[in-house]
Amino acid sequence: MPVEAVTLADTTTKELPLLVLWLFKAGLIYGGLLGTAALMTLAERKVSAWIQYRIGPNRVGPWGLLQPLADGVKFIFKEEVVPDGANPLMFRLAPILSAVPAMLAIAVIPFAGEVKIGDWSFGTLSIANLDISVLYVGALTGLSVYGVILGGWSSNSKYSLLGGLRASAQMISYELTLLLAVLSVVLMNGSLDLRAIAADQASTGMWNAIVQPVAFVLFVIAMFAETNRHPFDFAECEPELVGGFHTEYSSMKFALFFLGEYCAMVVMACLATTFFLGGGALPFIAELAWYVELPVFCAKASSFLFLFLWVRWTLPRFRYDQLMTLGWQVMLPLALVNLFVTGAVVALGWHPLLMPLLAIAVLVPFALLFGRPRPRSESLTHEGAAG
Amino acid sequence: MAQLLFYLLSAAAIAFGFGVVASKSPMKSVLSLLATFVALAMIYLLSGFQFLAAAQLLVYAGAILVLFLFVIMLLNMSDLETLAEHPTVSLGHTRVAIATVSAGVLGLIAILGAGAVQASESAAMPPDGYDKIEWIAALLFSRYMVPFQASAILLLATMIGVLVLAKRRRPVQTTELGRVDA
Repeated sequence: MPVEAVTLADTTTKELPLLVLWLFKAGLIYGGLLGTAALMTLAERKVSAWIQYRIGPNRVGPWGLLQPLADGVKFIFKEEVVPDGANPLMFRLAPILSAVPAMLAIAVIPFAGEVKIGDWSFGTLSIANLDISVLYVGALTGLSVYGVILGGWSSNSKYSLLGGLRASAQMISYELTLLLAVLSVVLMNGSLDLRAIAADQASTGMWNAIVQPVAFVLFVIAMFAETNRHPFDFAECEPELVGGFHTEYSSMKFALFFLGEYCAMVVMACLATTFFLGGGALPFIAELAWYVELPVFCAKASSFLFLFLWVRWTLPRFRYDQLMTLGWQVMLPLALVNLFVTGAVVALGWHPLLMPLLAIAVLVPFALLFGRPRPRSESLTHEGAAG
Repeated sequence: MAQLLFYLLSAAAIAFGFGVVASKSPMKSVLSLLATFVALAMIYLLSGFQFLAAAQLLVYAGAILVLFLFVIMLLNMSDLETLAEHPTVSLGHTRVAIATVSAGVLGLIAILGAGAVQASESAAMPPDGYDKIEWIAALLFSRYMVPFQASAILLLATMIGVLVLAKRRRPVQTTELGRVDA
């Protein structure tokens, strides 16, 4: 925060010019996003090392903290290869299309409420205050598929094409569940505005993770699929597809795909925090100042980011037909039923705590009765049609 | 500034629209269509219709076009190119089809235009700003209930029709080899 805010203190509330404020916030938040994404690459290796009882990168800087920087420099100096027969324009466009939507989506995340330093008011700690920020985020998640499809298609390589097709089929399938889970939240809190959703949870004290357990679980699972993360990382699936849709990419273009993936993870973590954990709210405390809210928000989002890494290094990868079965036959119907029940509870004005009880009462016996693993031969028949 | 942006975006939308029809590669057509949709969404945004812009990107660019891309990628590209060089449908039939579709589209535009004029005369303006979602929802579920439902049924019918067509084709192709794909 600028120093002159304190020195120029006056009795009335002051504001910076709008453009300056926007640029300042955008610089701050984008810097934070890119910094977090870079640190995530290091965290990925550190956490994997920790889980596998290794040390991990520790040569560049203290605790290996400068490793992302070294990686970046290395990427820049690598040779850029455009394969023969590739469509040059689209080949170059794909990494951009993959990185940009994730970066744009961060603009509406409300990290904290009204920021006030002395007599200066800086508005809420988010770049854009949009009434329909949920739809905005949804639209951008939809657009992020193009980078993967185009990257796979334009490379003129079998592995890339297959990887791109798989990844985009997966992203489309799970996007439905993701958005339906979000819609339940929207119904619950009665707004399409991320700020209002977070504020509503903070004021009632009932976070959606408690009131909407089904939507929460669905969102978290779909979040993994949507960012192409393990156990759903069919986009790269090394043993089957060499490297998936980015097999043919090298140098900074490859790095851009990864930047996009990590930015998407950060955005998804922030969204999950806002939708289900009440943003920067703490339980049983009604009003928090922004300097409390921001660390609380970051801590919650970081726990989701850690979950991403934790799952990656502990769970095995799904098979492709299992992925599609889970998406279309389990998660989508569940999300629809959950949306319906939420709508009914909201319309009839019942107590929202009825829903977790109902979920436990219905889902646990259901899972016990029908939750047996499918016989392998039966599920394999789907593969010919899907893959 | 806004006007300049509007003209730029409109020009882009029209240019990419031509690109959709003019380009030979279906992949480029779809991408041009994507650019058209994005330009349209930006025009909506420029006029203050945030909801429409988001819906445009969410529904068309995010969902429908991706499906287009899928179909095109799954079809064999060389098949498509030979199909374009040796069309299975005769030129006369193509002309009739094009004429019918254009007439239909023009008629639709005329009807919609008339409807829009009527609507703008009769519909109450929203209390503050055009973009209140409650206002759109209220209109959609009261005044425009019938067209809304009708278009939903139309889409459903189209979907079923496509399914029927796609399903019927398969046995013909497998039983009478070489007859369909001339």
